[in-house]
Order: sequence, then C-alpha cells, then structure tokens
Amino acid sequence: MRIAKVATTAVILVACGASLPPPSDEWAAAQADVGRAQSGGAPSVPDAKLHLQLAQEDLQKSKDLMDKDNKRAASLVALARVEAQLALSLAKAASAQDSAQQAQQDLQKAKGN
Amino acid sequence: MKWSHAAVIVGALAIAGLSACGGERLPPKALSDARDEFHRAKTGIAIQLDPTDVHEADLALQRANQAWSDDPDDPNTIDLAIVAQRKAQIAEAEAQTMKSQRDAEEAKRQLQDLMSTQLQSARGQLTQTKAQLNQTQSALEAEQKAAAEQRQRLEDLEKKLKDARDTIAKIAAVKDDERGMVITLQGEVLFPTGKWDLKAGAMAKLDQIAQALIGKEQPMVVFGHTDNTGTHDMNMDLSQKRANAVRDYLVSRGIPQDLISAQGKGPDVPISDNGSIEGRASNRRVEIVVQPKKS
Repeated sequence: MRIAKVATTAVILVACGASLPPPSDEWAAAQADVGRAQSGGAPSVPDAKLHLQLAQEDLQKSKDLMDKDNKRAASLVALARVEAQLALSLAKAASAQDSAQQAQQDLQKAKGN
Repeated sequence: MKWSHAAVIVGALAIAGLSACGGERLPPKALSDARDEFHRAKTGIAIQLDPTDVHEADLALQRANQAWSDDPDDPNTIDLAIVAQRKAQIAEAEAQTMKSQRDAEEAKRQLQDLMSTQLQSARGQLTQTKAQLNQTQSALEAEQKAAAEQRQRLEDLEKKLKDARDTIAKIAAVKDDERGMVITLQGEVLFPTGKWDLKAGAMAKLDQIAQALIGKEQPMVVFGHTDNTGTHDMNMDLSQKRANAVRDYLVSRGIPQDLISAQGKGPDVPISDNGSIEGRASNRRVEIVVQPKKS
C-alpha cells in the first residue's frame, strides 16, 4: 500500500513537473523584455499597452507561483516574454506607420506646390 | 505478489493519465486562434518580409499542438497556444514595420527627386530672369547714354548759339522777337545807294555772321526793307534784290541753301518815322531772322 502511494506521487510529480528549478533566469529576461517595451513606446500605443499589461500580469503571477509550481511559473514567464516582445513590436510598427504616413503627406504636399 | 499489485496500480494510473492527456476533443480557443494567426502570417506579408519570425511562430505552434495532443488539460497547453499566437503576431507586426519603413523610404526618395526637379526648374527660371534683368539693364543704360548724349548735344547747340549771338552782336544789332533772333544790318553798311551789290566791308561782316551761323541747322529768312522814297514797286524790287544778294552771299559762305530764303518787304515794315533823315536811314535795312529750330 505504501509503495502504491509512493508510485502515485511519482506519477503525479512527473506529470506536473514540480521538481523543476525556479525559472529565475527566464524571469529576469522577461523583466528586461518588459523594460524594453516600456521604453520602446508601448505605453502610448493602445494595442501595445494591452500586451504590456498582460506581460506584467503574467510576470506577477509567475512570481507568486515561484517555488510552489515552477513548471507553471516557467510557462507564465515564457508567456510574459512573448507578450512584452509583441508589445514592443506593435509599438515599433505604429511608430513606423506614423513615419510612413508623415513621409507620404510631405510628398503630397510637395506635389501640391 | 506485492510487486505485481503495485505494477497493476501503476499501470492503471498510467492508463488513467493517458486517457486524461489524449482524447478526440475540439482544440481550445487559444489553440485555434494561434492556428488562424499563424495562417495569416504564413500567407501575408510576414512570410515575405520576416520569414525568421514566421519560422519561430511555426515551431511554437508545433509545440502547442504537441502539448495539446499530449495533455489537453494541462494549463500550460493554453499558455503554449497563446505563445504561438503571439509569435505569429510578432512576425506580422515586424513585417508591418519593415513595410512601413520601405514605404517611408520610397516616399522620401520620391520627395527628394521632386525637390531636386523643382530646384532645377527654379534655378533655370532664376537664370532666365537674371538674363532678362541684364538685358533690361543694358537697354536702360543704352537709353540713359542716348539721353545724356542728346542732352549734351542740346547744351552744345545752345552754347554755340549763344556764342554765335555774342559774335554777331559785336558787328550788328541783335534782338529777339516772336520770329526768332533778328540780326539787323543798316542799308548804308551793305549797299551803295540804289544798288544791290554788296560793299567790301559788308562782305567782311557777313563772313563773320555766316561763320557764326554755320552748323546751327536753323532755318533763316533774309528780309529786305527800304524807306518810302520812290515808287512802291521800285522799292519792292530793290528790297527783294538786296535780300537775294545777302542770301546768296551767305550761301556762298556755307549756309545750306535749303535753310535760307529771301524776301523783299519794300517800305511796308518801317521801324522808324520816314519823315526824318535818321528815320529813313534806319528803315533802310536788311534783317536776317534766325528761326527757332524745329524739334
């Protein structure tokens, strides 16, 4: 009976990955991604701002789960990273689009003269 | 016995675990969203402009698909699906950035071309305007020069006329009336009584007058006058002949023929009383009228 209990625990442990180490390095990298998105203009672009907020929430959840459920924490960190990266990409795209529109306006204005 | 029991339990648990992980279920929304998003990236501008990020999204989607088929109930499966969707979105956003940058560069290049064309055209116009300005300036200078020359000529002419008048005034009476400058020579000085051939002294005076008047280009009329002694016809004839004589002499001294005429007035235009000797003497005269130059 005792052996069965141990085996059950082992199966559950393998399935849940609780034996993984805390994703500290990835967490720091995600935090850096969030920082880049913030300084890259994400807070002033609505779409980008949304994903930046999601990244920050995932980062917080991940921190809360650290050492309790490291597998889940790592998954959330990975999610936080892509959310932050997407926020930066969207901010860059919006800025590039503004520049392109400005250049197009300048061109039309010059053609009008 | 104990071991076989344990093996059975482990086996049963494993089967339970597998059935929990597999199953023919519809994929969760996050995963179908990720598949849709990846499809967009794979068929849109992302695959052309940012294939690297599309490839990343592909790998992430494969992981999410694998995780779902391994264990659909694992919450991390949903996370992996969202990661895959975000990676596809990143690929699309990056491609959009590149496209915008290219558009901006193209617009800037066109603007530069346009501006250099406009600049060239403006330069051409400026050169043309400058040339026109130079022409106008040259014309203006020529006009000013011509005007100055004309003014100088008039001044010279006026001065010559004044010099001529001064010269003539030394040898004859000079006055101005409505006809112009009038030079009056006494009959006694020019002709013997009743004759119309010039005295030698008269010629000397007329020489000086001709000298002074040459080159003035002003029309002149020589008038002959007599007193009222004798018949009118005789006096008319004498005055005409004397006027002719003076005119002919002046022409011989260089006054242009077409500028000078002669006219006998007889006794009709006296300037003094014919009742006295002095009066009659002053009435016998020749007048050279220099008319103002027609401008």
